[in-house]
Amino acid sequence: MHLEAPAYSPHTVPAVDDSFRRTLEESKGNSMTEGVESGIDERDVDVRGTRIHLMASGTGPPLLYLHGAGDLGAWPDGLTALARRFSVYRPDHPGFNASGDNSSIDSVHDLAFFYLDLLDVLGLDSVILIGASFGGWLAADIASLDPSRVDKLVLVDAAGVRAETPTPDVFALSPVEVAEHAYHTAAARTAAIGQAAQIEQDPSLFERYLRNRMSTANVGWNPYMHDPKLLDRLHRIIAPTLIVWGAEDRLLPVAYAWRWAGLLPTARVEILEATGHLPLVEQPAAFLDVVDDFLGSVR
Amino acid sequence: MKLFGFHLMPYTDLPEEHLKSGDSSWVTLTNGAFDPVKGHELYQRYISELKYYDEVGFDGICVNEHHQTAYGLMPSPNVTAAVLVPQTTCKIALLGNAISLRDHPMRVAEEVAMLDVISGGRIISGFVRGIGAEYHTFSMSPTASRDRFYEAHDLIIKAWTEPGPFEWYGKHYKLRYVNPWPRPLQQPHPPIWSPSQGSGETVDWAARHRYAYLQTYSDIKTIRRAFGDFRDAAERYGYQASPEQIGWSLPVYVADTDDEAMEQALPHLDFLFNSLMRMPKDVFFPAGYLTLASTARVMAGKKGLGSGGADVRGLVERGYALIGSPETVRQQIESYQQELGFGLFSGIFQFGSLPGELFRQSVRRFADKVMPHLRSAAREEPH
Repeated sequence: MHLEAPAYSPHTVPAVDDSFRRTLEESKGNSMTEGVESGIDERDVDVRGTRIHLMASGTGPPLLYLHGAGDLGAWPDGLTALARRFSVYRPDHPGFNASGDNSSIDSVHDLAFFYLDLLDVLGLDSVILIGASFGGWLAADIASLDPSRVDKLVLVDAAGVRAETPTPDVFALSPVEVAEHAYHTAAARTAAIGQAAQIEQDPSLFERYLRNRMSTANVGWNPYMHDPKLLDRLHRIIAPTLIVWGAEDRLLPVAYAWRWAGLLPTARVEILEATGHLPLVEQPAAFLDVVDDFLGSVR
Repeated sequence: MKLFGFHLMPYTDLPEEHLKSGDSSWVTLTNGAFDPVKGHELYQRYISELKYYDEVGFDGICVNEHHQTAYGLMPSPNVTAAVLVPQTTCKIALLGNAISLRDHPMRVAEEVAMLDVISGGRIISGFVRGIGAEYHTFSMSPTASRDRFYEAHDLIIKAWTEPGPFEWYGKHYKLRYVNPWPRPLQQPHPPIWSPSQGSGETVDWAARHRYAYLQTYSDIKTIRRAFGDFRDAAERYGYQASPEQIGWSLPVYVADTDDEAMEQALPHLDFLFNSLMRMPKDVFFPAGYLTLASTARVMAGKKGLGSGGADVRGLVERGYALIGSPETVRQQIESYQQELGFGLFSGIFQFGSLPGELFRQSVRRFADKVMPHLRSAAREEPH
């Protein structure tokens, strides 16, 4: 099955669950929000005292998408396509975007424990787990921490391990420089650079960007965007795993895909041509192609 | 007014290609560009210049700490101070030890206590967090910087003032035995200074502890606001800030005439602000180094600094440096002092590529023609 470019209507993709939608509508005085109109439910869930902002859409087996460090809270179109077959959950990590803070978290491993609590709160025994970039690191940690909670694992240009290939220090880059590094195609880069330039002009956007960056720094500054202890835990992952990578990723070069492949010897590896660090955003069709094939074939 | 002479000990002989490149002079400037033989000569010169402050009658010398940069060759203020202690009689202010960057704050407690005991109680102990770039240098998350600073400070003060051994179980430091030998000579502990770039949290922290607050590299508008905030904070904590608690630190150059002073100083100030201080904004202010609340206001006060493109004459006009004849410099300090009420003044008389000869002439003119007017009290004698 091939997932086509998203063409969503609320009638074909029901809400994740009715109580979820009811909660949302009650909390917003029954006014239809932009999110609801596009079939994406938004709500806040309380995870042991931390407010987590959650976007969700679709029906089917649960799929948890863990966003990257530079994600400003968007629902990428590619997720809408996945919502045709799956109940897609896209939380903002604690300390990111519209979620609250949790000052006890100071490592990605802490975050992994936190996400087990989130799964409990959502009543999800196990999920398909897709993690992009920073979210990929987190996904690998969760899948090794409690293998029983992860049915299938997709790592997309994932941080978390180190290869002997130089990478730019993302913490030393401005928003525009990050955009320049993150995308390959001229159109995607131009658009992303334009958006990044807005960040420094718009105080509320800048605050969101800076807070996300602080939360990333808090867990990923040292060791730089990886956890050497993960190496001794990855053998615990039992979920069938797909490694997806942009061939032209300049933030985490493709050598990192092969590093992951060496650590997860049974994983399938798909390198996407003419793609940078964010395949789901830059080349959604190609991304969905390989993900759909993987999820379909192991279903 | 208490007068201090400050020195950044810069490495001035940078490769042409680096100067032209616009690249950072911090963190990533290769240390292959450091020539140890030239370094030796510079250290000899700089130590003699620091001693010169003492010789001409300053109340004290300021030394500080920076890392992985040509901006200043002083990774350890305690080493510089140790060199100066037997060669001087004035106060020595450590501006400061970057306690958040140390793996172990007890090393600072021990070293500063040693210096205080050896010097006969001449040490002023500044505590700082280190600048943003240094969190890159040590791969230490800037998000923990402030927390580590507070905890390291609390631990050091307790170690200096309460008999050990005691146990310490904080968030960042966990110690079964805190019991440093020696303890400082000055009681209850050496004076604490808080040099800062003006974040609201630091202003409040310094006022709460009744420490001296020292503002560096800021335009006069920012200085005015920071000193006002400090006084307000002191009042909130139930007291009036004294002049000795408020300090201003900036580059100073004194020549015979204003024009001569500008002509002689500007190229070297330019080297300081546009070559040595140059670094990307995200290295200067990494995420988490400042709180969300302080980011906007501190960055506004530092606009242009570090970019490599600052208009130096404009910086002087905005109060980042005092350049002029003895009369001009005296008038400016006096009128700012009257308005802003600071009782500590720390002049950075060596800046950028300023040659030794010009440094000495400037310091001598200041000592002869400015200092006598600013002196409010006799120089304190050490133990």
